Amino acid sequence: MAGLTFKNVFKQYGRTKAQQVFDADKTVALDADKSVDATVRRVAAQIDNQYAVNDFSLECPDGEFIGILGPSGCGKTTSLRMVAGLEEITRGEILIGGRMVNNLHPKDRDIGLAFEDYALYPPLNVFENIAFNLRAKGLPDEEIRRKVMEIAPLMKVEDLLDAKPAGLSGGQKQRVNIARALVRSPSVLLLDEPLSHLDGKMRQILRTEIKRIHKQINCTTILVTHDQLEAMSLSDRIAIMKDGRLQQFGTPLEVYDNPVNVFVAGFIGEPPMNLFKVGIIGNARERYFHFAERGIKVRVPDKYGKAVFPGDMVVLGVRPTDVLIEPDNPAATDAKVAVFENLGDEKRISIEVGPEDYLTLITDNEKRYKPGVGIKIIFRESKTHIFDKSTGERIQGE
Amino acid sequence: MRESAVSFFFRNLFLVFWALFALFPLFWMVLLSFKSDAEMFSTTFIFTPTLDNYINVLLHTNYFRCFLDNLIVSGGAVILSTLVGVPAAYALARFNFPGKEDLAFQILSFKFAPEMLVVLPLIIIYNRIGLYDTYLGLIWVYQLITMPLLVWVLRGYFEDIPVEVEQAAQLDGYKWHQIFWKILLPLIRPGLVAAALLSFIFAWNSFTFPLLLSGIKIIPVTVEALRYIGTDTIRYGQMAVAATVTALPEVVLALVIQKHLVRGLSFGAVKG
Amino acid sequence: MARITLEHVTKTFGSTTALNDIDLDVHDKEFFVLFGPAGAGKTTMLKTIAGVEFPDRGLVRIDDRIVNLVDPSERNVSMVFENYALYPHMTVFDNIASPMRSPLHRRDEEHITREVARVADLMGIDALLNRLPSQLSNGQRQRTALGRCLVRKPTVFLMDEPLAHLDAKLRHLMRTELKAMQSQFDTTTIYVTHDYMEALSLGDRIAILNNGRFEQIGTGDEIYYTPVSEFVARLVGEPEINIVDAQVTSGSGGKPAIAIASGGERRLFPIPDDVAPTLDGERNVRMGIRGINLSYRFDPADGYMPGTVYNLEPIGNKSILTIKIDDTTYQAVAPNDLDVELDSPVFIRPDPGAMLFFRKSDGVFLARHDQRHFLGENN
Repeated sequence: MAGLTFKNVFKQYGRTKAQQVFDADKTVALDADKSVDATVRRVAAQIDNQYAVNDFSLECPDGEFIGILGPSGCGKTTSLRMVAGLEEITRGEILIGGRMVNNLHPKDRDIGLAFEDYALYPPLNVFENIAFNLRAKGLPDEEIRRKVMEIAPLMKVEDLLDAKPAGLSGGQKQRVNIARALVRSPSVLLLDEPLSHLDGKMRQILRTEIKRIHKQINCTTILVTHDQLEAMSLSDRIAIMKDGRLQQFGTPLEVYDNPVNVFVAGFIGEPPMNLFKVGIIGNARERYFHFAERGIKVRVPDKYGKAVFPGDMVVLGVRPTDVLIEPDNPAATDAKVAVFENLGDEKRISIEVGPEDYLTLITDNEKRYKPGVGIKIIFRESKTHIFDKSTGERIQGE
Repeated sequence: MRESAVSFFFRNLFLVFWALFALFPLFWMVLLSFKSDAEMFSTTFIFTPTLDNYINVLLHTNYFRCFLDNLIVSGGAVILSTLVGVPAAYALARFNFPGKEDLAFQILSFKFAPEMLVVLPLIIIYNRIGLYDTYLGLIWVYQLITMPLLVWVLRGYFEDIPVEVEQAAQLDGYKWHQIFWKILLPLIRPGLVAAALLSFIFAWNSFTFPLLLSGIKIIPVTVEALRYIGTDTIRYGQMAVAATVTALPEVVLALVIQKHLVRGLSFGAVKG
Repeated sequence: MARITLEHVTKTFGSTTALNDIDLDVHDKEFFVLFGPAGAGKTTMLKTIAGVEFPDRGLVRIDDRIVNLVDPSERNVSMVFENYALYPHMTVFDNIASPMRSPLHRRDEEHITREVARVADLMGIDALLNRLPSQLSNGQRQRTALGRCLVRKPTVFLMDEPLAHLDAKLRHLMRTELKAMQSQFDTTTIYVTHDYMEALSLGDRIAILNNGRFEQIGTGDEIYYTPVSEFVARLVGEPEINIVDAQVTSGSGGKPAIAIASGGERRLFPIPDDVAPTLDGERNVRMGIRGINLSYRFDPADGYMPGTVYNLEPIGNKSILTIKIDDTTYQAVAPNDLDVELDSPVFIRPDPGAMLFFRKSDGVFLARHDQRHFLGENN
């Protein structure tokens, strides 16, 4: 058992690799252009591309479950591999239980690692796969047996011990894989996209199980994932990375409710936060967000009274669940339903605020809306965020 | 991991030696072709170059007719293989029919049998039905050399093209022949070029079949070269000239197509 | 006008039956969704309509004309394939232009340039027109494939999982756009998906396919509120519906009640009056309750079943609370700021008005409260 610390860690690859990482980012940026404001992303993407991991500091207390979350090419897997000793650390320090491990051989770092692809040894049965590392260490048979039997029921693979990997389902393989990482009782458990190969239902089941096991064995765990749902549901705290830099580190609720910048705001949450570049209009007392293309205005919350002024351009962010339909509120804004989706558990309404730009809101009331119908909406003031239009940083209210 | 200068040096040194080793026979052949018979055995690298051999072979024998014969039978064999092999490869890749794998293996197995094994019955059959010493007869028997390669390479190419691509083209409003020309052909082209040229080279070099199944009216250059072995002497110089000229088209082809060759024979080029 | 009819269509591949005696009637201009798990036969059905697969038995009609023997290129259908099926050697522009360059639908180049530009703009791929498919991300490929499908005016659109390979955010966005475009399509559309949100959102009607047969065909409300079987109930909704064994018995005052095992005893919940007659004669049933209809509290109360917190997963705008009672787990929906220790006690109560009842033996739907309300034209 031990905590894990990153101290100003940098990772620099040869030029080609850096270029690849950069290229990967560009593709992602292109894909995401539609959902989040393009200029903001581009500006951020051009800074400091030569580092795959750039000045990354993180403090993971003993026993905590930390998720490192980010798009492909953000440096999250590199960070994990540096902890495991599979990548050299260019600069900075990584400490496990207060001990610097930069120069330790992977096998001496006391790490359990479960990769995304199962990487089980095909000729060995499940028991031998789990026992493999213990055998390598030269433990006596009896102790190996005891340890495997201890971990197998935890991961629910006790009935599979004689099976060969080829005969297992994806979910079972991943269980064996995690069991193999856990059996050494490592001080830090590293999980690299452990659920991304599984189908929806198995993913959910294993997610629950991983959380339960963490509670039982209480081992410091680092989970690397690009799936925000996975990170949110499993982690005590989440570190969100982009372009090799740490963007925000906090509990799932913190990053959900108080994103520090446009990137985090857009990355966390499903459906994504509504993010629009809007102008501010009005006068000294009354200020409005102005969707110029459709002439929609929504009141600016009072807390931003000293932060924004008429004539400013900002990025407005509001989650679909924080857009409320209030027909009787005199302050509410008139809008027109463009798309109504009945998804059973919830209803989603999209309002066109620009050409092919939609403001989405989620409601669970039973009312049905036809496209074209007028509704009155307001934003939940405490959950209305604004971001600087060029830096993407959040603008604080009072 | 950056490569150290030392390993770089030794790796290239090894490659240079390997190239020398592989190219030496060719070099030796060219060397011989410029030597007179007198100098043939006496000197190694220092001699008076002469063009006598070239003049003798190219002007005073029917070498060019043989060259043309070789071109006709090899080219004809490749064209026939392409016409038959492309549809065959497509069928083997796309359709399920009884005995499909057996048939595919059968085609490949043509390559397994030593030529000497099949050539004896072929001589008898060819004599009976009048194919002996004809262009058609040789082109036909060359299929044993050219067809298996073409079919197996192209089958892989066709299998790499998702069937949905063809279906999408059908729904876009194209007929099967248009789909073939517009969609399939461009996608298999690298493989087709590589396989066709490689099989052309194999056919060009073929010796046993033309030696035994022709030789009076049709004499490919590979067989023609034998004539320089007389009862009393072997004219190494003239043989070397014949071999050098014969090898020329192959060398030129190989240089022209080497890009295709590397790309075409490594599968998966179509994916994307 | 384009009405699609399948009559007794059967299609087998070797020993697996992909379509098993299917009858289907898709109305003109309808947005019809085929929904089901992988391997249910959805894609085969689509390809059979397109004409690129041939039914072993049965008839395919487009506008009452039997098209079994009509060449796919003559059927005037437009399709998105799940694996995109882009032409690898053509640029995005040429891919999208392809239908308009075929001899059947040929248009002049000026028209093609204009239409490709329009569709590319719609799909957000206008900057990529000169790229080859191998230079695109999966999401971009999928949008190119969708563009090639939408660029012409066919009698029917066939879409095979057109959003499946997009990431969650883009999928949400594209779904909204598809839905917004829907009214402009004005063309019969058959849409295959395994995502229940797409099915409920887009479908005028939804057909649920399982093992080559229809389980249920109906509107989104019918599927969600009155699923014909446990299988269908489990397919829609997130988290998955809780379904447990229960007994029909009589409760206080002799009124019919449903008994659910909890901690060695049985808890009784009243059965709504309109449901009781249907359950008459059944003794053992299966009771289904969706996560949003399962209320929970952390102190004991009358009518609540005691259990423990097995897991709590915040997933953004809500949390999934998993409750363990004996060996059964229930999943409820909780607000995202709920904070509770694992294994602490919790008490839950299913809302009798939202209970779904299934026959124990075969999982067939029996009844729910206010059933009529959800059927037919009540939307």
